[in-house]
Amino acid sequence: MILAQNLTKRFGERVAVDHVCFDIPQGQVVGFLGPNGAGKTTTMRLLTAYLPTDEGRAELAGIDVVQDPLAARRCLGYLPEDNPLIEDLEVTDYLHFTGRLRGLTDERRRAERVKSVVRSCGLRREVGSLVGELSKGYRQRLGLAAAILHDPKILILDEPTSGLDPNQVQEVRDLIGELRAEKTVLLSTHILSEVTATCDRVIIINSGKIVADGTPSQLAGNLSDKNRLHVELKGPAQEVETALSALRGALFLRREGAGSFVLESPADIDLREQVFKIAVERRWPILGLRQEKLSLEEIFKALTQNHAS
Amino acid sequence: MRPRIFQTHAVQALASRSLRGYFESPAAYVALFAFYLLTGYFFCAPLFFVKQASLRPLADFAPLLLVFLAPALTMGLIAEELKSGSFENLATLPLEDWDIVLGKYLGFAGVHLLCVGGMLFYALILAFCVQPIGALDWGETFGTLLALAGTGLVFGAAGLFASSLGKNQIVAFVTAFLICFVLFLLGKAAPMLPGSLATFADYAGIDSHIDNLAKGVLDSRDLLYFASLIFAFLYLAVQRLGARRF
Repeated sequence: MILAQNLTKRFGERVAVDHVCFDIPQGQVVGFLGPNGAGKTTTMRLLTAYLPTDEGRAELAGIDVVQDPLAARRCLGYLPEDNPLIEDLEVTDYLHFTGRLRGLTDERRRAERVKSVVRSCGLRREVGSLVGELSKGYRQRLGLAAAILHDPKILILDEPTSGLDPNQVQEVRDLIGELRAEKTVLLSTHILSEVTATCDRVIIINSGKIVADGTPSQLAGNLSDKNRLHVELKGPAQEVETALSALRGALFLRREGAGSFVLESPADIDLREQVFKIAVERRWPILGLRQEKLSLEEIFKALTQNHAS
Repeated sequence: MRPRIFQTHAVQALASRSLRGYFESPAAYVALFAFYLLTGYFFCAPLFFVKQASLRPLADFAPLLLVFLAPALTMGLIAEELKSGSFENLATLPLEDWDIVLGKYLGFAGVHLLCVGGMLFYALILAFCVQPIGALDWGETFGTLLALAGTGLVFGAAGLFASSLGKNQIVAFVTAFLICFVLFLLGKAAPMLPGSLATFADYAGIDSHIDNLAKGVLDSRDLLYFASLIFAFLYLAVQRLGARRF
């Protein structure tokens, strides 16, 4: 549905987007992550044909964005980073204006669509207000409403929750969550919890290059060469420590409390079964057993710092 | 599908938005006030002091007023969108560059034609004043209004092109002012120039074309002059937008 093949963009000597490739199938919500200046916005601008590509090609719904930008944009709802709106228009007037530009020329159909997006984006309270009077949260909602007005198959959202307070962030996330059933969504952000909450897949870009692509758990698996296990056993601490250190493949790390221990093992060895067996044999009740996975924050840090250095 | 240069629905939407935009801010009111205040003076002065019942004197003065007014009304049309970032919204909608340029331009044309159209009131006053001694020369009157309409439309197109050059409205205004002023001066400088240069300056300058129309002579060469300059500036604006995107 969204295809990027070797997308490249240079600004003078600087390569902002460097042979970026990905393919997003229909119905997937993809988080596009990267530190500031990594090339997220530029990639999105290339996908929307706002900027020309220097190399490579992009397709939206099977339509080449350079060869037929108008047809490609008809399938697309786009929310730019700063969400610039026309300040002196009333909320529904703004949506009608956007609808007319989108080719919704039939007034009745346009009015129905405006009514529908006002409801789905929770804008009813603001009908009658000027765009310039809206809070940041409602401006984002209005931007989203304008982006989905023509019922596009694809949504590209550049930092949809940037600058919002936690309640507004949740509201916008819920809205994106509602859209996921029928749209293919690419959203950029650097709020990692947002990706965990809303996305099926993560693409991480750094210095213009894709450094990771997969589900958060796939990325954690690929990145981590060790398993970390938190064990809490009720037994004589010294004996427990000795027994745990002797497990096959285990590297005893540290004692965290009276009966709490942290172990590490190579990624292909799962210590939980061995711990369970020892506990049963020695009659030490298991109070806790938790295998730790790398969080998205850790993945993000590992990928973007490694590549940056 | 046959390639289209522009999409009517989009041009209409942008033109009506652009026109409304003028009246939602003080811009159109200030322009109308300045236009009628100054043209009113230059209409009344010959009528009452020299007893000349004609719109001709306006054809000499109003173009200079338009040299300032048209760039002032058009300087923000695209520069403002570029500055605020809303151009990205516009440029990622399914619109041709001609849609954007024509839509914006027609909004300006609406305000300008309202200014010039209002001058029909002056013509009615003249017709009333000369009634006891004869009839008003309507050919000359409509010719003058047509000349002023054409002049403003050319200057507005130049202003729109200047506005497409960058984010800075002041730069857009100064650039448009210089273009318009050169067009205004060329004709006036023609008598001082030698031979073929004078002929060129006379044709390239706007003065001779205004003069012809203001005499009531409807010559296709003058109409072609106005039309070709409008098209040229709008074409340049479209090229400029295209260069920003591709």
